[in-house]
Amino acid sequence: MPCWICSQMMKSYIWLQTADGSIQQVEQEVAMFCPMICHEVIQKGMGSSKNYAISLPQRVNPAMLSLILDYCRFHQVPGRSNKERKSFDEKFIRMDTKRLCELTSAADSLQLKPLVDLTSRALARIIEGKSPEEIREIFHLPDDLTEEEKLEPLKNTTDDPRIRLLNRLYAKKRKELKERQKLKNIEVEEERVDDRSVDDLLSFINGDNGDSKGIKNSKSKKKNRRRKDQQKNTSANEAIKNHNKEPNGLNQVCHSAEVGQKVRAGVGATSNLHDVEDDIFDNKNELDDGDIDDEIDPALKEKIDREVEDFARRLNSDWPERMQEILSFGHERKPVHFSLNGNGSLRRYASMLLSFFYY
Amino acid sequence: MDDVMSRDLISDLPQSIIESILTRLPIRDAVRTSILSSKWRYKWATLTQLVFDEKCVILSNDRCKVEDGLVNFITRTLFLHQGPIHKFQLTTTHLQCCPDIDQWLLFLSRNDIKELVLELGEGEWFRVPSCLFNCKKLTRLDLFRCEFDPPPTFKGFLCLKSLNLHQVLVSPEAIESLISGCPLLESLALSYFDSLALTIRAPNLKFLCLEGEFKDICLENTPLLVAMSVAMYMTDDIAEHFEQSSTCNFNRFLGGVPRLERLIGHIYFTKFLSIGDDLGRLPITYAHLKVVELNQVSFEDMKEILVVLRLITNSPNLRELQISGSSNTLAAIDAPDLDFWEDECPSNCTFKQLRVVRMTDMSGVPHEMEFIKFLLANSPALETMSISPCVYVMDGRLNMLIELLRFRRASAQAEILFIQD
Repeated sequence: MPCWICSQMMKSYIWLQTADGSIQQVEQEVAMFCPMICHEVIQKGMGSSKNYAISLPQRVNPAMLSLILDYCRFHQVPGRSNKERKSFDEKFIRMDTKRLCELTSAADSLQLKPLVDLTSRALARIIEGKSPEEIREIFHLPDDLTEEEKLEPLKNTTDDPRIRLLNRLYAKKRKELKERQKLKNIEVEEERVDDRSVDDLLSFINGDNGDSKGIKNSKSKKKNRRRKDQQKNTSANEAIKNHNKEPNGLNQVCHSAEVGQKVRAGVGATSNLHDVEDDIFDNKNELDDGDIDDEIDPALKEKIDREVEDFARRLNSDWPERMQEILSFGHERKPVHFSLNGNGSLRRYASMLLSFFYY
Repeated sequence: MDDVMSRDLISDLPQSIIESILTRLPIRDAVRTSILSSKWRYKWATLTQLVFDEKCVILSNDRCKVEDGLVNFITRTLFLHQGPIHKFQLTTTHLQCCPDIDQWLLFLSRNDIKELVLELGEGEWFRVPSCLFNCKKLTRLDLFRCEFDPPPTFKGFLCLKSLNLHQVLVSPEAIESLISGCPLLESLALSYFDSLALTIRAPNLKFLCLEGEFKDICLENTPLLVAMSVAMYMTDDIAEHFEQSSTCNFNRFLGGVPRLERLIGHIYFTKFLSIGDDLGRLPITYAHLKVVELNQVSFEDMKEILVVLRLITNSPNLRELQISGSSNTLAAIDAPDLDFWEDECPSNCTFKQLRVVRMTDMSGVPHEMEFIKFLLANSPALETMSISPCVYVMDGRLNMLIELLRFRRASAQAEILFIQD
C-alpha cells in the first residue's frame, strides 16, 4: 500500500460511483483489491472524497458491485487458508445464470482476474454436457441459424469478402429455391441455367484452369439436355475436387464440426455450386436463359473469353486493389465506392458481375 | 416475447471471457457451441488452446471406429480453426503411428505452436516428423512414446522452457545436444531411458526429474537448479559399471547446485551417489536446501550412510527430512563399523532448523537406530520425529521402541510418533 494512503491511523474509505449515479464509500483495503480501482487511486489520485468518487465502468451496477465487494472483503484478508478460500468461492458462485453472466462482465471490467476465472469456470460447468437446445434456453440465445447453416458452415479464414459473398448467396439461394419450388415448379429451366453457370463459375474460380474449355462445354451442353445431367454432375464433382486441391481455393466446403451428425456431403456440395450460380445471376427475368451464347458472334465470343480469363486472374490476385479496376471494366464507367460490409453493395456487385459477363 | 426477460445473457461478453469459458470446456463441447446461434458460430474457432483426448469421440468397442472418429474430429477441428494455435495436446491410447499426426504437426508448425503435448499409445512408437524441429516458438514439449530423431542441422529450440520426454527413443548425443541447445530450459523431465549416460548443461535449469536406468549422470552446468527428483533403477550392466567407477559421483552430481531447495531420491539414488572416492570436504554448502527425501537407503552399506550424512551436515537450513530404509536385515544385523557413530561421526554439527523427520520402512537394524539417535541428539528445534516400521518386521518392534525411549533429545518439544499400520 502506498504510504500516503496509509498515513492515517483511522480506517480510510474509498468513494465509488456506479453508472446509475449512486455513490458509496467502501473500506480502502477492500476496494483496493480490484486492480482497476487500485489504478484509479494510485495513478490518478481519485476516490478520496465524495466529489472525487471513482466512476466505475457501466457494466458494474450496484447489485454487482455489492457482490464483488463481498468477494474482495473475504479474499483480501491475508491469513486465510486455501481450503477456506475454496469453500467461500464455492458458496459464492451459487447464483442464477443471469447474475453469473453479469458478475463475469462486471468483474472483467474491474480487471479482477481471480473472480473472472471463478465465474468462467462456473459458466463452463453450466455449458458442459448440455444439448444445444438446453444451452439456448439457459442463456436465452436466439435459434437463428438456418438448418443448412447448421450443417454446412463455410470457413472464412481471412474474412475474405468473396467467401462472405458466397455465404450470403448460398443462404439467399436456399430461400429462393424453396419459394420457387412452391410457386413455379420449373425444374428443367433451373437445371439448364445451373448447367452453364457451374462451368462459368468454375472457370473464374479456378482462374486459368480450363476456363475456355468450360465455356465451350456449356455451349454444347445447351443443345443436348440429356447429356447435360451427367456432365453437370461430373463437372461439379471435378470442381469439388479442384477446389479441395487448390490451396487458395475460393470455396472450401467443410463439414460441420459436429461429430456424429449426418452431413449431406456430396449432394450438399453440388447443390451449393448451383445455388451460387443462380444467385449471381441476380435477376433471372432480365436474362435470356438458354440462348445467349449461341447468339454472340465468334469474335465477340473470343473477346468475352479473354475478358473472363482476365477477370478470373484478377479475382484470384489482389482483391481490394483490383476492385476499382474490375468495376470500371464493364458498362459501369464511374468507379463505385465499394463497401465490402454492406448488404446493398454486395447486391450491387452481384448484378455488376452479371452484367460484365453477359453484356 | 418480453424483451428484457429473453435478452441474450452471454453472447455479448468480451471475446476474452468467452475464450476463458470455452477453454475450460472439453473440446467437443467447445466446438459444439458453433451451432448455438449465429453469433456463436465461430466463437470457438479462435481458441488458442486445443486439448484432445478420447472423450472427443463416442466410445465404442470397435477400436477402428474410435480411431477414425478421433482422427476425423481433430482434422476437422484444425481445418475450421482460425488464427494461431498456442497449445495442442493429444492424449490417447488409440493412436500410435498414424500419418494424420504428421499432417497435424505440419499444420501446427505453421501456426505458431508454443506448447505441444503428445501422449500416444503403446505399440509402434510414432516417429516425430522433421517439421517439429521448425517450430521456432516452442516453449513446452511433452512427448510420450515417440521416436525423436533431430536432423543434423537442428540446433535446438531457442524458446523452450519445459521438456518432458517419457519413453522416447532418442540417441544420448541427441539428448545432450538438445538440452544444451535450449538455453532457456527451466524444467527437464526424462523418464524410462535405458542405460543412459548423461551430462546436463543447462544454465537456466530449475527443475529436474529423472527416472530410469541411468548409467551415469553428471550435472555439469546447472547453477540455478532449485528442485530435483531422481529415481535410478539398476541392471546388471549398471551394477558392473558402478563397481568399476572411481569418479566421485556425489561431487559430479551435487557439486554444482548451490541453490538447491528440494531433493528427492528413489531406489538406487543414494547408492549412485556413494560410488567413487570420497574427496573430503564438500566444496559447497546447500544454504537453501530445506527438504530432503531419500528413499530406499540401505543402512547396511556404510557408504550410503556417509552420503546421507554428508548431505545433511552441509545443509544448515534443512527443515524436513524423510528417509525410507531398505536394509537387507540379515546383513545389517551384523553391523560392522558401529564404532563410527561414537568415534568418527561429526559431533559438532547441529541441525538448527530441522523441524520434521520421517523415518519409514525401518527394520530396527543397528545403523538405523544409531542414525535416529544422532538426529535426536543434534536437532534442538525438532518438533516431530515419526517412525514407521517396515511391514515385514513384526518381532523387532518392541526392541525398537525400547531403544527409542533411551535416546536423548536435544529438543524438549520433540514428539516421537511410532506409526503402526
